[in-house]
Amino acid sequence: MNNRYTQALNGQKPDRVPFLPAIYEHKAWFVGETPSKVSRDSHLLIGALTAEYERVRPDALTIGVDVYNVEAEAVGCKVTYYDDGDNSVPAISPQAAIFHGPEDISSLTIPDPRKAGRMPMLIDVARTMARTLGKEIPLRGAVSGPFSLAAHLAGPQQLFLLTMMQPGIVKELLGFAAEVIKLYGSAFIEAGCGVVMFDSYASSDLLPPEMYQKLVLPPTRRIVDHFHEMGARDIPLIIGGNTTPLLDAYLDTGANNILCDAKADPQKFLEKCSAQKRAFRRNLDSAHFEDSTPAETKDRALKSLMASNGYPGFILGTGVLPYGTPLTHLIAIREAIDEFCR
Amino acid sequence: MQELRDLASFLEQGETQRVTSLTQQLLDAGISPQLILNDGLIAGMAVVGEKMRNGDMYLPEVLQSAGAMQASLKLLRPHLAREGVQSRGKVLMGTVRGDMHDIGKNLVGIMLQGAGFEIVDLGLNVTPEKFLEAIQDHQPAVVALSAMLTTTMLNMKSTIDLVRAAGLSPNVRIIIGGAPVNQNYADQIGADGYARDAVLAVDKVKQLLGISR
Repeated sequence: MNNRYTQALNGQKPDRVPFLPAIYEHKAWFVGETPSKVSRDSHLLIGALTAEYERVRPDALTIGVDVYNVEAEAVGCKVTYYDDGDNSVPAISPQAAIFHGPEDISSLTIPDPRKAGRMPMLIDVARTMARTLGKEIPLRGAVSGPFSLAAHLAGPQQLFLLTMMQPGIVKELLGFAAEVIKLYGSAFIEAGCGVVMFDSYASSDLLPPEMYQKLVLPPTRRIVDHFHEMGARDIPLIIGGNTTPLLDAYLDTGANNILCDAKADPQKFLEKCSAQKRAFRRNLDSAHFEDSTPAETKDRALKSLMASNGYPGFILGTGVLPYGTPLTHLIAIREAIDEFCR
Repeated sequence: MQELRDLASFLEQGETQRVTSLTQQLLDAGISPQLILNDGLIAGMAVVGEKMRNGDMYLPEVLQSAGAMQASLKLLRPHLAREGVQSRGKVLMGTVRGDMHDIGKNLVGIMLQGAGFEIVDLGLNVTPEKFLEAIQDHQPAVVALSAMLTTTMLNMKSTIDLVRAAGLSPNVRIIIGGAPVNQNYADQIGADGYARDAVLAVDKVKQLLGISR
């Protein structure tokens, strides 16, 4: 079993820094299919995950393609899929919002992961991967965070306005979202995997930190605590953007392996995470891969590694990799890790 | 004028009711709608933009202020038309193919309307071909492309390449904006400009069209 990632989560120094590139829609590229196809086909997704593992050798795998959509779709939002070889990522339009006001709360139903939308397919994939690769590498099922799920249900612009105008309604909606996520994530844990939660709509690039503290932290905490009770010891929470202003609340969620995205302050993350013995993943900006050489990527990776000061809980990652990103940049990052850790 | 400073302040605080009430008051008092727009609304949103850039204001507050501006513009429009205030130019905008994020684009649209531009909004998930067709139909002075994801920002390049290949530049200027992009990326893909936020987008459009005020 590759224990590198687990060791970092436990504060034990692994033999080398764990590498977690953000491969979601890009998974489909490994099997020569579109994200729309792979996200809806268990065989293709299993093939893609296996190929990702064999070709990239990350230190953990994420079971998910369009990681923000599954719960919202199961609750009733329409996902736009793309046909005819279009590699665009399946997405939910703001016009697909199903929550328009307080009167809609009572009509929202918590979906059954055994039956609703793509949940059963993804749980089935998790179960299969746990059997085939579960003894070799940590597996995490992708779940939404409560604010991002609520953003799909209400429409993002409407939700942000509601945080100012009707925070009580937002609190109720987030409470509903938390119950959906608890149930779905539990199904992944019961299938033999861990869970990784994504909540980038709650980033402090968008939402004031005090509002995160007041509205989003409580349901997030409830979700993390629930997953702990289900036996998942460490719950990564991915919030993109510059979350430095949010760092205290981010750590208060109880998540382990929080994201220090490319725009966030790595020194502040190092200081606060080491004080609380929490792991964090530092992202290299994947937008740079378009206009950089692998040598430049390797150089950036080395700089990030040196700045980590040998912290055992440090993980190196990337921003979301667009479909078709050449492997050369990932190879360059691995070379940097190997060189740094020699 | 104190009332215009008050208007800017109410706008900054997102107080839609007070903004519309004071706008109507000023119109009834015979104050020029152009002055109300420039020294009240645009001045207020400039402060909002600055505060957002400095991390002193976040999206919910910015959206409230933008909403207040929109409500005030609704009152001003008939008066601006009566004064013969002409559109400063047409801006075609949309979020590129594969992208369903529109908050930033919507804010830019509100600000550009406030600054006197005519907006044609193509919405979300707009293919390069649809942009091209719309450019040919609407003949805009500027095209504004929005993307929120590293995955979809690549479609800005394919849109620009298609427009250039069709021989529509240099009459059509193309600007880009959105979380993953920056000036370097704009230069790399041949865009005419980049703007970091909605307020700066207005400045950029004016600059590209040689409008000084």
